[in-house]
Amino acid sequence: MESILNVSKIEKYYGNKGNITKAIDNISFKVNKGEFVGIMGPSGSGKTTLLNCISTIDQVTTGHIIINDKDITDLKSKPLEEFRRDELGFIFQDFNLLDTLTGFENIALALTIQMRKPNEIDELIKSVAATLDISDVLTKYPYQMSGGQKQRVASARAIVTNPSLVLADEPTGALDSKSSRLLLESFEQLNHEQKATILMVTHDAFTACYAQRIIVIKDGKIFNELIRGNSSRKEFFNKIIEVVALLGGDMTNDI
Amino acid sequence: MIFKMAVNNVKKSFKDYTIYFLTLTFSVCIFYSFNSIHAQSAVLEVGNSSISYMQTLTNLISIASVFISVILTGLIVYANNFIIKRRTKELGIYMTLGMGKRKMSKIFIYETLIIGGLSLGVGLVLGIIASQVLSVMTANLFALNMTRFKFVLSIDAIIKTIVYFGIAFVIVMGLNQVIISKYKLIDMLNASKKNEDTKVKNPVISVSLFLVSVVLIGLSYNLVLDVGLSTREPLFLLSVVLGILGTGLCFYSLAGFLILMIQKTKKVYLKNLNIFTLRQVNNKINTNFMSISIICLMLFVTIVSLFTMFSYKANLDESIKGNTSFDASAVLYTSQTNEEGDSIEEALDQLDFSFNDSEEYLFFNEYALDLQVADIVSPYIDASNVHELENRADDRNIKVFTLTDYNAAMQLKDEQTVTLRDNELLVATNYGDKIESINRFMENEDAISINNQPYTIKNDDLIMDNIENQPHNTDFFYLVVPDDLSEELTLSGTRVNVDFGDDNREESEAKFAALFDCFNTIGGEFTQEVGFIQGFTREQATAILYGNSAVIIFLGLYVGIVVLISSAAVLGVQQLSEANTSLNRYTTLKKIGVTEKMINRTIFIQTLIAFMFPFVLAVIHSIIGIIVTSDAFATRNKNVIGSSSLMISIVIALIYGGYFYVTYVGYKNIVKNS
Ligand SMILES: Nc1ncnc2c1ncn2[C@@H]1O[C@H](COP(=O)(O)OP(=O)(O)OP(=O)(O)O)[C@@H](O)[C@H]1O
Ligand SMILES: [Mg+2]
Repeated sequence: MESILNVSKIEKYYGNKGNITKAIDNISFKVNKGEFVGIMGPSGSGKTTLLNCISTIDQVTTGHIIINDKDITDLKSKPLEEFRRDELGFIFQDFNLLDTLTGFENIALALTIQMRKPNEIDELIKSVAATLDISDVLTKYPYQMSGGQKQRVASARAIVTNPSLVLADEPTGALDSKSSRLLLESFEQLNHEQKATILMVTHDAFTACYAQRIIVIKDGKIFNELIRGNSSRKEFFNKIIEVVALLGGDMTNDI
Repeated sequence: MIFKMAVNNVKKSFKDYTIYFLTLTFSVCIFYSFNSIHAQSAVLEVGNSSISYMQTLTNLISIASVFISVILTGLIVYANNFIIKRRTKELGIYMTLGMGKRKMSKIFIYETLIIGGLSLGVGLVLGIIASQVLSVMTANLFALNMTRFKFVLSIDAIIKTIVYFGIAFVIVMGLNQVIISKYKLIDMLNASKKNEDTKVKNPVISVSLFLVSVVLIGLSYNLVLDVGLSTREPLFLLSVVLGILGTGLCFYSLAGFLILMIQKTKKVYLKNLNIFTLRQVNNKINTNFMSISIICLMLFVTIVSLFTMFSYKANLDESIKGNTSFDASAVLYTSQTNEEGDSIEEALDQLDFSFNDSEEYLFFNEYALDLQVADIVSPYIDASNVHELENRADDRNIKVFTLTDYNAAMQLKDEQTVTLRDNELLVATNYGDKIESINRFMENEDAISINNQPYTIKNDDLIMDNIENQPHNTDFFYLVVPDDLSEELTLSGTRVNVDFGDDNREESEAKFAALFDCFNTIGGEFTQEVGFIQGFTREQATAILYGNSAVIIFLGLYVGIVVLISSAAVLGVQQLSEANTSLNRYTTLKKIGVTEKMINRTIFIQTLIAFMFPFVLAVIHSIIGIIVTSDAFATRNKNVIGSSSLMISIVIALIYGGYFYVTYVGYKNIVKNS
């Protein structure tokens, strides 16, 4: 299998001498093309930090991150911006939609900044809206949408550019369980139909069980790795719950 | 310790303070330089005649300064509020750290003092530099000689500036205290999160309203072009009201209109960050349309009045030409003598007025024809210039002087004399550049008949020099005829022209000025004795001609510049507040991979639009306004508009452009440091 993301021996320190936090402590893993990978861990374990490093928002202290054969730890700020624009898609916990723009415009922005042609933009948005079932809300402003709709619009914005890697940080964090399920199902669908590679951070076992593989981290280190394989979602969920219990029960689930 | 904290705060947030600092500095600079006008007169050769105008100007500027200081204080408070708002979060953090409100107030007082002191200092230095430029301008406007350049420093004006702005700072500090004491911690911490409500309007309504506004503005233009500048005419008032309504409506609906239009052109709409830029502009105009409209109208009034004043002044310069040729000149009209047949020479004798040895003088006669300018040029008046002669001194009989007298007058001012044959005459007038029919007359006619006798016009070009000093009726028209003809003409007045010579000029000036003043003041003491002698020394004439216009121009510039600064500052502060409330949006943009270059570009466009929208409409309004006012003031020299527009454009570009740049940089910084 072709690997899209290769994280090798990265470390991330915060703070200065005398008062150092090791947010990431020697983590390595790979994500293959078309995989749907979850990252779990208790609060403060370094999930967001890891995602920020992969998404080029933050920089690693040591180690390398290779996305699509490009070592992003070597890139200068300008190619980095372009890389982020062209190769990555983001979904945030608090949606991060632009409040002044309609749904359509929010999605279109991801394409216009790539200098795509107007005709192409229209079509791409139509098709992604159909996939995520948001055709009706395209003309609405974020304040007129429900939380789940907002997150699906944000997801549409993240995948409409057909990025090599979609990064999601707690995408269901602000959603109720029904909206969460709808969103996760659409993630699954994207993963199956569009072959989108998804890396999703969560601390919620229910959300996590939609992934094919789960990397569990604790105190900045990889603690465990769970693979769903051919087991049913229910079985996978139970497996996750076990690990969560092992971790010390400071992770919640809302089932 | 608190002071140190305040210093650090100012250093840290100096970029936020830029616009506040700039506004304060500009204000202080302008305030000082105009209030130092009085001191400037010290370095100029101001004659007694000009001193009274200088005094009037100083007084008027003092009065205007009171109003202007109110405007400027308002502006400072406005800019200060922005800074406080921008720093509410910081305040909240201080409070959570357990700092008392009292201590916080102190920090703010120190900060205000530091910034205030700094800008007062810088502003005064700039003001002192600017006042040197202003004194050159004063010299120019009052047509005074600046024999030597001397540094002008007005202690009075410095004290006044410090007092006025001191009061403004005290007010700002007081308001800060009120704001701080009212704030609740929770508001402060959430301050940056609050997003202004985005108002969404129905696009169809926007478009219709926009069209209505265009119609209203068009109607208003049409009306005012028809009725002209007649402030008492109801139609004129209607046009003003329509213009104001149209402007307000235009800004109210502009954004919605633009969005609809641009959405239709997908190539523009779906390019780069245009979607975002458009929505930002839309949001901003929608929330601020009132103030934008007011700024637009203020800019319009400022531009038109600056323009009108400069062209009025340039016009004046034109009409003055040839009207101050003698050191002194006076006339006693036959209709205004006490005893019939008295000449000016006899009148002066009666008053025991005597000439010095150094003075050269010429007594001569003025005759009148039974003919008016209108009679001569009437064949050359057509539809395009029917109104030309209106409001001109064309209802008086044409003046005539004999060749000998004319030549003597020429010699008096050291100019070439002329010769005339028996059937020739000369035409002297400055009507040529304002009354086209005169020129056509000169081109087509060779002669003027006097008492049924044709006299050939000897000069091809009009003589442009008056034979007297005349600051009131600057339009003149007279003929020079052979001496013999004088016997057939009616005497209309007796005149004297004087050359002061080289030695006792000042003494002579004082003597003649005093003499003429006795008649010029209403019910002057000599009038009963000898009749009304109207006379002006060159200095008096110059002072009258330039004095009034100089006063108007100074006041206009003063107010105009302050309005310009206020408008630009308000636009700038609005834009920076907008930057503050939009911070979240920029963070999102950065997260989805928008490059810094693109972000800077959208900031540039947004700022440009914020500054240009009101400006462009103001300029369009102004074009109409200038057409109307130049009609009203009969701007005859079209070059005048060119030269004055250059001056005004430079002033506007400097102030407006300066604010634009500072705002753009400030906006970029706010976004970058988020
Ligand atoms: N900017 C920072 N400066 C200093 N320390 C930081 C910074 N960001 C994160 N940390 C520290 O790094 C560690 C990992 O933080 P991180 O945000 O990655 O946790 P997380 O797994 O996302 O937790 P949560 O589930 O609560 O979101 C924490 O101990 C945190 O205190
Ligand atoms: Mg986190």
